[in-house]
Amino acid sequence: MVDVSQHKLVPEHSVVDEDVLEGILDEYDIKRTDLPKIKRGDPALPDDADTGDVITVVRDSRTTDRAVAYRLVVD
Amino acid sequence: MPTDTTPKEIGEISFGLMDPEEYREMSATKVITADTYDDDGFPIDMGLMDPRLGVIDPGLECKTCGQHSGACNGHFGHIELAAPVIHVGFTKLIRRLLRGTCRDCSRLLLTEEQKAEFTEQLTQTRELGEELGDVTKAAIRQARKNDHCPYCGGEQFDIQHEKPTTYYEIQEVLTNEYPQMIAAAMQGRSEDEDDDEEREPVSPQELADSTDLDLARINEILSGEFRPREEDRTAIEKALDVDLTVEDTNKLMPSDIRDWFEDIPDEDIEVLGIDSERSRPEWMILTVLPVPPVTARPSITLDNGQRSEDDLTHKLVDIIRINQRFMENREAGAPQLIIEDLWELLQYHVTTFMDNEISGTPPARHRSGRPLKTLSQRLKGKDGRFRGSLSGKRVNFSARTVISPDPTLSLNEVGVPERVAAEMTQTMRVNEGTVEEARRYVANGPDDHPGANYVRRPDGRRLKVTEKNCEELSEKVEVGWEVNRHLVDGDIVIFNRQPSLHRMSMMAHEVVVMPHKTFRLNTVVCPPYNADFDGDEMNMHALQNEEARAEARVLMRVQEQILSPRFGENIVGAIQDHISGTYLLTHENPRFNETQALDLLRATRVDELPEPDGQDDDEPYWTGRTIFSELLPDDLNMEFTSSAGDTVVIENGQVVEGTIDEDAVGAFGGEIVDTIAKVHGKTRGRIFINEVSSLAMRSIMHFGFSIAIDDETIPEEARRQIQEAIEQAYDQVETLIETYEAGELESLPGRTVDETLEMKIMQRLGKARDSAGDIAEDHLDDDNPAVIMAESGARGSMLNLTQMAACVGQQSMSGERVNRGYQGRTLSHYEPGDLSPEAHGFVESSYTEGLQPREFFFHAMGGRQGLVDTAVRTSKSGYLQRRLINALSELETQYDGTVRDTSDTIVQFEFGEDGTSPVQVSSSVDNEIDVDAIADRVMDAEFDDEDEKRAFLGERRRATNLSEHTDARRVSSDD
Repeated sequence: MVDVSQHKLVPEHSVVDEDVLEGILDEYDIKRTDLPKIKRGDPALPDDADTGDVITVVRDSRTTDRAVAYRLVVD
Repeated sequence: MPTDTTPKEIGEISFGLMDPEEYREMSATKVITADTYDDDGFPIDMGLMDPRLGVIDPGLECKTCGQHSGACNGHFGHIELAAPVIHVGFTKLIRRLLRGTCRDCSRLLLTEEQKAEFTEQLTQTRELGEELGDVTKAAIRQARKNDHCPYCGGEQFDIQHEKPTTYYEIQEVLTNEYPQMIAAAMQGRSEDEDDDEEREPVSPQELADSTDLDLARINEILSGEFRPREEDRTAIEKALDVDLTVEDTNKLMPSDIRDWFEDIPDEDIEVLGIDSERSRPEWMILTVLPVPPVTARPSITLDNGQRSEDDLTHKLVDIIRINQRFMENREAGAPQLIIEDLWELLQYHVTTFMDNEISGTPPARHRSGRPLKTLSQRLKGKDGRFRGSLSGKRVNFSARTVISPDPTLSLNEVGVPERVAAEMTQTMRVNEGTVEEARRYVANGPDDHPGANYVRRPDGRRLKVTEKNCEELSEKVEVGWEVNRHLVDGDIVIFNRQPSLHRMSMMAHEVVVMPHKTFRLNTVVCPPYNADFDGDEMNMHALQNEEARAEARVLMRVQEQILSPRFGENIVGAIQDHISGTYLLTHENPRFNETQALDLLRATRVDELPEPDGQDDDEPYWTGRTIFSELLPDDLNMEFTSSAGDTVVIENGQVVEGTIDEDAVGAFGGEIVDTIAKVHGKTRGRIFINEVSSLAMRSIMHFGFSIAIDDETIPEEARRQIQEAIEQAYDQVETLIETYEAGELESLPGRTVDETLEMKIMQRLGKARDSAGDIAEDHLDDDNPAVIMAESGARGSMLNLTQMAACVGQQSMSGERVNRGYQGRTLSHYEPGDLSPEAHGFVESSYTEGLQPREFFFHAMGGRQGLVDTAVRTSKSGYLQRRLINALSELETQYDGTVRDTSDTIVQFEFGEDGTSPVQVSSSVDNEIDVDAIADRVMDAEFDDEDEKRAFLGERRRATNLSEHTDARRVSSDD
C-alpha cells in the first residue's frame, strides 16, 4: 500500500491537542462543529486521528511560507 | 417620501406548518359565497371580492384597515372546508408518518432506545450542519420493520400511496371461500389443482385438537355458518399450512388520517425532525383554507366593461361551490357514494388551487382550455416569483443603446446622448446654495437639455415640469423643494455590458452629455467590458441616492478597477492601434521637429517640450522616446523585455532604450501601466493611460498606418524557396509512407504504427509550414504594417502572417489530419488509402495566392469545426462559470481575515491562505513588497523631523480627487 502522507504533495496533517484547540476555537469564535470537515477514512489522516478530533493541515505557501487550516474529523 | 417605507430588517424567518386556528385568527372574513360582484358591480359581502380582503380599485377604502389601494396590502380571508382535505405539498411526509406510526395508538413504532438513538443522531447531524433527511428516513425505515406496535401491540399494515392524495391501508382479511379451502386442505388436496404433492388428510377431530377449538365450532366453520376470528384463523392456517387470507385495500379518508395524526405524541415527532412547538402533523390535513387577499388576485376590467377574474379567483369559486354542495348533500343525508365523490372533487380543487402541474392529475383548465396558473405556478420556473421577480427585476433610471468609440474622452467618462440625459434624472434637494441653480434647471423645462422633469413640494406633492408651466414653476421653487434635474456632465452613473462575468463588467463612469444617439466610451475600457463596436449595446444606470453615488465614485469608478483581481495586473490599458502607435514612436526612435513634437503631445497635460535631443540642420529635434518619456512619472525606474524582444530601460522617468509596445503599455499586464497604477496610485495610472492613448493616436496618425493585399505578397524568389521547402517535405512524407507500407516503420512507445505515421507526417508538415513562414518573414520588411502589428502585439501573430503570405498549412479536424468523408478517402478525387498530404487537407497555397478548390473545401471543413467548437466551448464554460458563481457568491471575507459563508461556517482560515488582495501584491515573483520599507521611505521623504511626523500621524487626510469635472456642474442659464 502506498502511504499517501509521505507524498510530497500531501501536506502535513496532525491532531490538535484539546487545550490548544480551545484557543483556536476562541480565536475564531466558533464551535468545533463549525470547522470544515474531513472524512475519517481520508488516507491523509494520521493513524491516531479519531472521529471528533480536530486536524491541523500545514501547507507550504508561496506567499506566506506556511498556511494553516483546521478540519474536524467526521464519519 | 412616505415614512412607512423605511426598510425593515428581517431578524428571523421560521418555517413550519400553520395552525388552522391561526388561519381563522388572521382572517378578515369568512368567505361563503362563490359570487364576486352583484348586478350593480359592488362586491358581495362574504364573497370572494369582499371589501374586507383589501382594495384594488383606486379611490375605495379598505374595510379592514381603512387605507386606500396601494397602501393596503390586502388581508387574508378563509373558507371553512366541509370536510378535511390533504395538502398536496405534504403528501410524502403524510405517507412517511402513516407508515412510521401505530394505526391504533399513533405512537412512533420505535422502542425508547431506538428513539433515543435517532434523537442523538439528529442532534449530531444538526450540529454538523448536514441534511436531516437521511436520519429521518432511516428512522422511518426502522419503524416500518415493526409489524406490531411496541407499545400497544397492535398489528400494523402496509400503507399504499396512490398519487397524489389517496392512501390505502392493506389488510389481510379472511377470504370468503374459507370453508371450501379448509375442506380441501383437510382432504389432503393442495390449493393448486395441478400440484400433486401428497398431503395427509386431516379429520375434523384432529383439526379441533391441534387448534384448541371445539369440534362443533370446526363444523360450523366448515359449513360457513361461522367466520373464524383472527386467532382461530391463524391457528387453522398453521395446522393445515394454508393461506386463508386475501388482501383488502381500505381507503383512508383525510378525516381518518387527521384523527390518527392528532394522537401522535409531541416527543415522537421530534424524533422525525419535526419541531412540535411549531408544527403538528394534523395541520397537514386542511380543515380551513386561507383565501388570498384580492390584491394578490386582482380582477381586470376589460375594454367592454366586463370584469375578468384572476385564475386564483376562478379556482376559489370552484372550491366554494363544491364545498357548498358537499354540505348540502351531507345535510340532506345523501348516500355515502355521492358524499365520497364530492369529497374527492373537493380534494381535487384544493389540490389544483395549490399546484396545477401534478403528474397523474389532469390540470384544471380555464374556459378557453388554457391550464390555470395557480399558487405553485406563480413561484416556479424562469418567470416565477423567485427567478423572475425577485432575483431579476426590471429597473427604472436605466438606458440601453449602441456603443461607439471616442478617444477624446477620459477612461473615467462615458458619452451619454442628450436624449438619454434628458430622460434620466437626479434628485436635487434645494437649499440656500442651490436654489438659483435649481430654478434655472426648472426654467429650462423638460425638453431643453440641462432641464428638469419633476419637482416635489415640501408637502410631498409631485408636479410635472412641462413646456408650459416651467417658467412659472421655476419662480416657485424654494428651499426645501426637490428637483428632478437632467443628467449633466460630471454626474456618476453605472455602465454595464452583458455577460457580466466579473466585477469590471459594471463600472462607474462620469457623464459627458453629447449629441447623437450612442453611448461613447474610450477604447481603453474595451478589455474589461470585453466590448467592441460592431453593434454592441450597453446599459447605463443613473444612481438615485447620495450613498449610492458616493459608493460608486469611491469604489466602482473605472480608475479604481484598472487592476484586475483576476490576475493582479492591469486590465485597462492600450490596445490595438495604441500599441502600433507607441511602437512606431519608439521602436526606431524617430526624430521630430518642434511642431511635430508639440502636435504629438497636444492632447496631454504636457505643454512645454523638454530640452531637445539634438540639432538636425540647425533645427532642434526630439526623439520618440523622449516624447513618450514626457508622460512618465519622474521617479520611474524599471527594466523589462518588450514584446518586440528588446530590453526596455527606464531611468528616472526617461526611456533610455527599448520599444514601448504591448508588454509596456498594453491591457492585460502592461508593465509600465501596472507599475504606475500600483506605485503612483490609481489617479496617476488613469492619467497615464489616457495620455498614452492620446499620444499613440497622434503618433499613428503622424506616420500613417494601413494594410493591403500587396503588403502580404512576397517576391517570386521567396515563392520559389517556399515551393521548394514544401516539395522537400512532400518527398520526406512520401518516404515515410513507403516505409510504412513496407511494414518497416517503427512505432513510437505507446502508439500503434498508424498513429506513429500520422504523427510523423503531421510533424513534418508543421515544420514545412513553419519554414515557409520563416522564408516569408525574411522577405517581409520590418516596416510592413502586419509585421509591426504582430511584433508589437497590437493584433495578429506571425502565424497569421505565414498563412497570408506563405502557406496556410495543415487543416485539422479535432487535432488530426482530415480523415473523414468517403470510405478510405476524404474526397472522390483520391484513391482509397491515399496517405499523401494533399489528400488529407494540407493547404500549400497562401491566402494571398488563393486556395485550390480541394484545398478550399478542406479549409472550410476546418473552419466550420472551429466555429462549432468555440460555440460549444463558450456555452459550456458559461454554465460552469454560472455554477461557480452561484456556489461562491455568498462567501465573504470577515474582519478577522477568515472567509465564511452566510451561516458563518469557515471556508478559509485566512483569505487566499495569505490574507492579501491580488491587486495589492507585486506582480513579479522575485520582487516582494516590503511594506515597512515603503512606509519608512514615504515618511522620511515627507517630513524633516520626528515631531512633524508625529503630528501628521495624529490626523491623516488624503486628497479625494473624486471628479474630473469640479466645475462642470454649473448650468448655463439659457439667456
